[in-house]
Formats: sequence, C-alpha cells, structure tokens
Amino acid sequence: MFNRDFWSEIFMALKRNKLRTILTGFAISWGIFMLIVLLSAGNGLKNGVTGNFADRIKNTYTIWSSSTELPYKGHKAGRFIMLNNKDIQLLESLYQVEEVSPVLSKGGTLIFGEKSRNVSMEGVKPIFKNIEGVKVIEGRFINENDMRNKLKVVVIDKNTNEELLRTSEETSMMGKTVYINGLSFTVIGVSKGMAFGEMGQCYAPYSTIRAIYNVNEYYQLTFTTKGLDTKEDNEVFSKELRKKIAMLHEFSPDDNRGVWIDSQMVNSLETMRIFNTINIFIWVIGIAMLISGVVGVSNIMRITVKERTNEIGIRKALGAKPRSILLSIVMESLVITTIFGYIGMICGIGLMEIVNSIMESSGAGTNSEMGMSVFVNPTVDISIVVMATLVLIISGVAAGFAPAWNSVKVKPIEAMNYR
Amino acid sequence: MIKLNNINKTYFGAQPLHVLKGINLDVAEGELVSIMGASGSGKSTLLNILGILDNYDEGEYYLAGKLVKNLSENQAAEFRNKLIGFIFQSFNLIPFKTALENVALPLFYQGVNRKKRNMMAMEYLERFGLKDWADHYPNELSGGQKQRVSIARALVTSPKIILADEPTGALDSKTSAEVMQILREVNATGITMVIVTHERGIANLTRKIVHLKDGIIESIEENDPDKMDFTKEIK
Repeated sequence: MFNRDFWSEIFMALKRNKLRTILTGFAISWGIFMLIVLLSAGNGLKNGVTGNFADRIKNTYTIWSSSTELPYKGHKAGRFIMLNNKDIQLLESLYQVEEVSPVLSKGGTLIFGEKSRNVSMEGVKPIFKNIEGVKVIEGRFINENDMRNKLKVVVIDKNTNEELLRTSEETSMMGKTVYINGLSFTVIGVSKGMAFGEMGQCYAPYSTIRAIYNVNEYYQLTFTTKGLDTKEDNEVFSKELRKKIAMLHEFSPDDNRGVWIDSQMVNSLETMRIFNTINIFIWVIGIAMLISGVVGVSNIMRITVKERTNEIGIRKALGAKPRSILLSIVMESLVITTIFGYIGMICGIGLMEIVNSIMESSGAGTNSEMGMSVFVNPTVDISIVVMATLVLIISGVAAGFAPAWNSVKVKPIEAMNYR
Repeated sequence: MIKLNNINKTYFGAQPLHVLKGINLDVAEGELVSIMGASGSGKSTLLNILGILDNYDEGEYYLAGKLVKNLSENQAAEFRNKLIGFIFQSFNLIPFKTALENVALPLFYQGVNRKKRNMMAMEYLERFGLKDWADHYPNELSGGQKQRVSIARALVTSPKIILADEPTGALDSKTSAEVMQILREVNATGITMVIVTHERGIANLTRKIVHLKDGIIESIEENDPDKMDFTKEIK
C-alpha cells in the first residue's frame, strides 16, 4: 500500500497545488511557531523571576523598622520605631518562630592596600543566606564556626570585589586581609549581593559585630517559622505579630506602618499565582492559534476533496477501492501538517535557542546591579511542543477525514458527473 | 455474459422517477450490442447498472455468471477493475496524468508493479498508434486521440466486457468512424461490448440493437453490420 507509487501520487497532488499547499502549511508553521515563542517567553519570565527566590527557604519573615503613620498615646505620627532586643525576646517566645536571625548594620570604610570603599556591614547568622537567598559566587558564606569563635571574617559583594581587584596584581580576594573601620577582616567569600551604586555590602558573623560594636538596635530582623503553611496562616500570624510589636513600642495596632512585616511565603504564593495566571493566558492564546490552524487545514481539505470529486469518480470506475482513496486524501493532509508543523517547530525552537544564547553571553535579562534576573532561559519543554504538533496533525486529519469519507461514499457515477 | 432479470430502478427525488421498468436482456459472450433510445429513455442508467457504477432496486443482474447485487464497495471495485472496461463520451481521463499514466492506472489498482504496468500500457498505446503521445497530457491530445487513450485504458486489464457510453458523442464523423472501427476490431478479438448511443449510424455497426423507450425494451433488432458501408453512412 505505502509503496513508492503511493507517495509519488501524494507529492504530485501537493506539487500540483503549490500555492494552496504553501498557504496551508504556512498557517500551521506559524501557529506552532507562535505557540513556541509564547510558551518560551512565558517560561523565560517565570524562570527569571522565580530564579530570584530559588535559593531562599519559604517559611521566613523579615521585619523592617519604619516610621509610624498614626499618632498614638501621646506619641506623634512619624516616629521612627527602632527594633531592639525586646523584639527578639518576643519573637523567641512565640511557638511559631523557629530561629531568629537579627541583622546588625554598621556603615564604614573598607580599605585594601591603596583602595578604599564605603560599605554597609551586616552582622548576620549563617541561616541568613537561605532567608535572603544570598548567592555566593566565590568562596563560602558565614558558618557556625565563625559564629562560635567570633571570627573576623567577611563576605564582600561582587562589585566591591571587582573594584578591589581592579589594577591590582591579585586575581582573587580569597584569604586576603581588608580593614573595615580600622579592624582587620579576612575575606572568605564573594556574594552576588545587593549593591547600590557606590555603596558596597559586606556580611560578617553576627556574634563578631555584636562583640565589636555592642549594638542593641536593629533595622532588620529575620526569622524562620514552623507550621505556617498557607497564606491564611501567615496572614493571621502577621497580624498578631504586628499587634504585639505595636504594644511593645507603643504605636497604634491599627497603624499599617511602624514596622514592615514581610512574609516570604505570601510573596512566593503571590508570585506563583501571577505566573499561573500568565500561563493560563498563554495556553488560551496558544490553543486558539492551534484551532485556527486546524480550521485552515480542514477547510483546505474540504476544497481539495470537492475539486477532486471528478477524479475520485474516475478512479472508482477504474477499480479504486474506498480505502485507497480515503488513505490518499488523509495522507495528503498528514504530509502537509507534519512537514510544516515540523518546520514551525524547528524555527520556533531555533529562534528561542538563539535568543537564549545571546542573552546568556551578553547577560541581558539579568540586572547585575541588583543581582536580580527578569528573563532567564526562555525555552520550552520539547514534549509540550511535540504534543501540540501531534494535536494539530491529528485534528487536521480528523477534520479532513469527514469530507474524504463523504466523497468515498458517493456513487462513482455521481462523482464522475459532478461539475 | 450478461443476464438481466426484471431490472427496476427508481430515482427518489422531489418527484420519484421510475426510469427502468423491468428490463430483461441477455448478452452472450463476444456479442456486440447497442442500446438505443431517446434522451430520458433510461439507456444511460441501464449502462451504469451494467457497469456497477449505480445500483438497482429490483431484479437480478448476472455478470459472467455472478450475481451482482448488494455488493460492498470493495467487491464492486474489484468487479469493475477485473471484468469491465469503460469508455465514456467525455473520455474521463485524469487531466494531470500523461496518456501512459492514464492507461496504466487500472493496473495500479490491481497492484501491478510500475515497470510492468508501464510496459503493458505502452503496448496498448502502440496498438492504437499513440506511442509517440505517451508522455503527453490529455489537454495536448485531439478528441480522437483522447478516445483512443481511453479505449487503451479500458482494454489494459483484459476485461470480459467493454461498456461504452456514447463513445463517439464528442467526436466528428471521420473520427467517429475510426473509433467505431477500433471498437469493432476489439470486439472481433472476442470481448463482449455494449454501446449506448442515440445515433442510428453507430447502432447500425452493431449486431444487436436494443431499442429502449420509457424504461422498457421496445424491441430487439438483429442487424448485419457487414452490409453497411460504415465510412459513408455513419451519420
């Protein structure tokens, strides 16, 4: 059945109607192409944004100090609330709180050889790496040993690292001694870090900074929680925590400011919700495109069969069996959809791979200044693409099958006399 | 070869049309029969039933000893392919195939391989003086050439019976005479032939003339074509 003659018949039919074949094929290629580009772009956005949270653990909170907005118990509005040890004690007393990691901030000047740079030094616990999602690109982060022994070690940010190494003979800052506010620190790592302009950001062990500066006030407290799994749990917890802190610092429990309480869990759930919506949107568009492709194919098949009614009648008179006619029509549409679907697939994947490699080599899509990425790896799961192509082919054939079947059912004499 | 018992056929349209009202006819092997009648007499319908291109409502039709009734599409296709050769007024050649490909097509449906198919088709084209036209498309051929191609196509499977529907209807008188001469020669090799025509001149070249009127056989006339000078009296 599927010998050389069979295929040459089909390719002859396609060649005979070159324009029609190409137009139909273009609709299919374009549909698949756009579907791939859309899905890839959606994936790129998702990979980019969620990549920023990827290293973070979800069950974490950050509390920032801030100014009040409402007057309360004789205090004027706009009072700055500084977090202190009482807040830490409060947090540690709550059963939902697992571990508190306060952030001690100290501004200063970092000096290495001839070079100096303004830095903000944060005294943090090892868990901070996971809470804030700090990315260490060289060396290591602060560990428990540093904490216990109050070692004078420091993790510097990428920009500071580059700045210090520039015009220097050194190739790495690892193990080098730097001076921060006159005290010597050993560099143990480089973080991708959140550096704002000229200001560098360094991390040192919490215990060390605390011992040196004896600070008791904090701009930022972070902690991990346990047993708070849903958005609702976290919202209830946030509200109660806000009330307790408000009582401690005597600001209105109704004040939305005073402190910022930020739940990583809620943020991440929100982000996921947004991406799910985007995903649904993309699929709706993609499916609509597929449908238009299928409609195109079935339309062309209907016209093809109509045009060939006469020929089909002649073939039947000469002894063609219904199966051979049906098969040749269905295979014709199968060949069109497969070839052009494949072309669209290759073009779409090719384009996105090119975009991807350009972005990777140029670093576009990631904001190095902020250490944040927006658009990463805009590619699509190949199985989804193959499935979409298969759906298109199958529905195209199914759509072409009905008119083919009808023409096969027509009596040969009627088909031959059809004009 | 052909035996018809009380064949009835009605077209059910807005107005039911009883076109064949009990046809009884025997055609022996090797006979050359013409069916004559005015338009609307049912002669084309009868030929379509003989060719299994259309079905009938009542009666029995035996072709080469086999009852042709309620055949499946596949069986009908096989019967047409193996037993029957068709010649049409409008030739019914496939326009995008060459003369050779057109002639070879029935063999394709028999599953004959390409090489043998083309060889056999070429043989038949040669027989009708069309060897040099084998690679031409139908629109590059004259009416007579087209009909000769379709005769070659009808014969290529060595059928038992040739059915011709107004084979000279689209041809001028000279070409008609040539085509009829070819058909008579084909008949002389022993192939049964039924020709539908409304032209007396054509019917006169056959041995048996069946006159059809309003769906019934009016008369069957025996005829001796050798008495006729067909080159002069054809029209």
